[in-house]
Amino acid sequence: MSGEFLLVLLVAGSYLAAHWAFEWLGHRYMLVSGAEYLLLGILLGPQVSGVLHASVLDAFAPFMTLALGWIGAVVGSNFLVPRLVRTRLELLRVAFTEATLTLVVTAVLLTAALAWLYRLPLGDTVPPAAALGAIAVASSPAGIAMLTRRLVRRGLVVRQIEVATGVDAFTAIVAYSLLLCIAHAAPTSSIRAPTPTEWAVISVAIGCVGGALFHLFVGSERNVDRLFISIGGSVILVSGAAAYLRLSPLLPAMLVGAMLANTTKNGDEIRLALTRVERPLYFVLLIFAGAAWDPGTTAWWVIPAVVFVIVRTFAKLTSARLAAFFNGLLSSLGARWGRALLGQGGLAIAIALDYHLFHGDLLLPDVVFSAAVTSVLLTDLSSARLVHSVVRRYTRRAFEASTPATAHAAFAPDEK
Amino acid sequence: MRRIIILALLYAGVQLVLPLGEVGRGSEALLTFGFLVLAAYTVGELTTFVGLPKIVGYLFAGIAFGPSALAAVSATAVGRLSPVSDLAIALIAFLAGAELRWSDLRATGAKLAKIMGVEMLFSVVGIAAVLIGVRQWVPFLTGISTPQLVAFVLLFTAIAIAHSPSVTVALLTETGARGPVAKSTLGIVLLSDVAVVLFFTLAQTIARSIAPPSGMATIASPLLVVWEIAGSLVVGAAVGFGVSLYLRFVHRELMLFTMLVTFFGAALARVAHVETLLTLMTAGFVAENFSHSERSEAMRHALERSAAPVFVVFFALAGAQIAVGEVVALLPIVLPIAVVRAFAIWLGAGLGARWAKAAPGERRYVWMGLVSQAGVAIGLVTLVSSIYPAAGASMRTFLLALIAINQVVGPILFRRALVAAGELPDRTPADGSAAVGTPVAGH
Repeated sequence: MSGEFLLVLLVAGSYLAAHWAFEWLGHRYMLVSGAEYLLLGILLGPQVSGVLHASVLDAFAPFMTLALGWIGAVVGSNFLVPRLVRTRLELLRVAFTEATLTLVVTAVLLTAALAWLYRLPLGDTVPPAAALGAIAVASSPAGIAMLTRRLVRRGLVVRQIEVATGVDAFTAIVAYSLLLCIAHAAPTSSIRAPTPTEWAVISVAIGCVGGALFHLFVGSERNVDRLFISIGGSVILVSGAAAYLRLSPLLPAMLVGAMLANTTKNGDEIRLALTRVERPLYFVLLIFAGAAWDPGTTAWWVIPAVVFVIVRTFAKLTSARLAAFFNGLLSSLGARWGRALLGQGGLAIAIALDYHLFHGDLLLPDVVFSAAVTSVLLTDLSSARLVHSVVRRYTRRAFEASTPATAHAAFAPDEK
Repeated sequence: MRRIIILALLYAGVQLVLPLGEVGRGSEALLTFGFLVLAAYTVGELTTFVGLPKIVGYLFAGIAFGPSALAAVSATAVGRLSPVSDLAIALIAFLAGAELRWSDLRATGAKLAKIMGVEMLFSVVGIAAVLIGVRQWVPFLTGISTPQLVAFVLLFTAIAIAHSPSVTVALLTETGARGPVAKSTLGIVLLSDVAVVLFFTLAQTIARSIAPPSGMATIASPLLVVWEIAGSLVVGAAVGFGVSLYLRFVHRELMLFTMLVTFFGAALARVAHVETLLTLMTAGFVAENFSHSERSEAMRHALERSAAPVFVVFFALAGAQIAVGEVVALLPIVLPIAVVRAFAIWLGAGLGARWAKAAPGERRYVWMGLVSQAGVAIGLVTLVSSIYPAAGASMRTFLLALIAINQVVGPILFRRALVAAGELPDRTPADGSAAVGTPVAGH
């Protein structure tokens, strides 16, 4: 029996053990799981067993781009206009203020921190710091999703958390996509290099034109299996177009998802088709993220990763508090409602993986990736517990409305 | 028609985007691949209107938009997507194994084995004879030594006798036919998949021994042959038991799990130096038969759900790899082989059915369901290409031309057989287009 064979068995055994361990933790201590897939990726990757070596990762790069686009499309499909217009304006204002402040505070602090840590000019550390800012904004919806299933009633805080996770995803994707437009390398072809504004227009156009065409293509199809193939092809095409132009697949795919969900009569089926493989793709993304993790290429990766986690925690808590204060909801939401937004999941990994794998020419890709992976590992597990700590405290208050628990997505339709 | 116009617009959009990026990057493959999936899906839907299975449409779309025709998908892009094809082959093998049930095999196994055995014997002899007869016109058989001739004829025959479980299952699902002809055909096709893989493994090992591929200095020993087959069963059984344990104790994320199993199964087969397809087929069989029926049903359901897009991808890519010019040039040679193959199937299945004392309907019509070819055959010829790159590429084109003919003729014949045997239910075929969105009475 060869050593490689034993390694494969070892990896399989480790995966199952990790899966059971995290499953048990999830049930026993209300911890959201997903980290075992990251661990599996690390075990499979070049750092440990080498089953997924560099050439395999390169061969599966289209899969990863597809996974990124799919996550974007799922985020977009949750932005339903009818639901959006019914959302209280102050909740949206709080969410957007929180997201913007988190982005700015994290990006500014990390620009300085990275410049100091790596002795680089401040201007050079803006792109990685901005990418980390975008990653910092993203909050995992898994915690609130897990909790809303257990709540008999829900109120303002729960709704605010739902709205905030949706707006956070939107802001993170837009901010990261704009960063890539600004820091875009000139194409090697003979045509004039588009300006950052033109790249941004191209990025949005891919999503809007793609969304409009796929709206017509999908038509009134209601069979989920057939829809799955059409939508799969659409997301592959749009993600491929964006990645081919060295843009983020997340924004165009998010626009496609939003357009399909809002403009077609079969929006429910489309969301069902999209969410059907969301989790498997997220786990695949985690596996590849683990396999692609190479902490050895940049020294001192632990320090910036820890700095990122600290800065993000500070930025999230402060921004959430300030946002509630500026919009007159501090007494309703409480000073610490931002704790519910600390959990990070798929979107953070998706942005980090995109930056690391497909935009390696930008500065410090390993640092950005390691920081995001560390943050996800530390916060994904406890996201439900963090949300619970906020909701449990405030559900006792009088202002809590007696609306039934609904879907986790911020602007998704209510569950029947 | 609307979808075709939209596809044309999308194609124009892709052409607009292409000059802005760097040609040759991996994402170019994804960009064009997305278009290919949509095109294949559309053409697949169109083919149902003319009574052909969708996979024929996927194949046609691949040919039309592939490098040798409209070149919407470049050869580089097709090459970069080969891992997708490999994963699809493994998934098809696992699915095929999971379709076999021990109880069914015990009940009708002897009858099906007799029909299959005689049919395969006649097919092997017929195809090998006609291939040797026309060898001076067959590109991969000209200017080679006798051992190479024997090796390549053996390999070609081992692949050419394959049937198509995917076509059979797809057509039975579409028509809702569940009579003796339908059941026997499905049984023979699934059973023959195992036999074909066994025969191919044996043929491959013999071929490697008598005509070692370039770079392979040592000749495979008989022990290696035994290990390749027995090892596949052992490793496949181990994987299958692992799957059944997972189904029993975990039973979550089945779609992702089945994907991981096929990936792991293929990796295990590679490192253990055993036959990948047989390993995964065994794994599917063991997982299906050693799990609780509800759990295995859920697994098969997850596999089938992931199989639909996999088929689009797999057949579209297979079509894109067909060199149209070469296929057209080969048609005069391939057509007689296709005719001889069909004749051998008719004769062999008829005689086998008499020997097995099958019902008159089965004697007369079962052969018509055995003409189709697809997934496994394409998978096997891909393996040959990896062992003998030069001859394998030529053989692949030759076999894909043969498969293309059988793909078109086979489903039509099978449907006629079901009609003639009176096994089609008196209702609109359960094709999605008719049923989609239609409320079911009483629900």
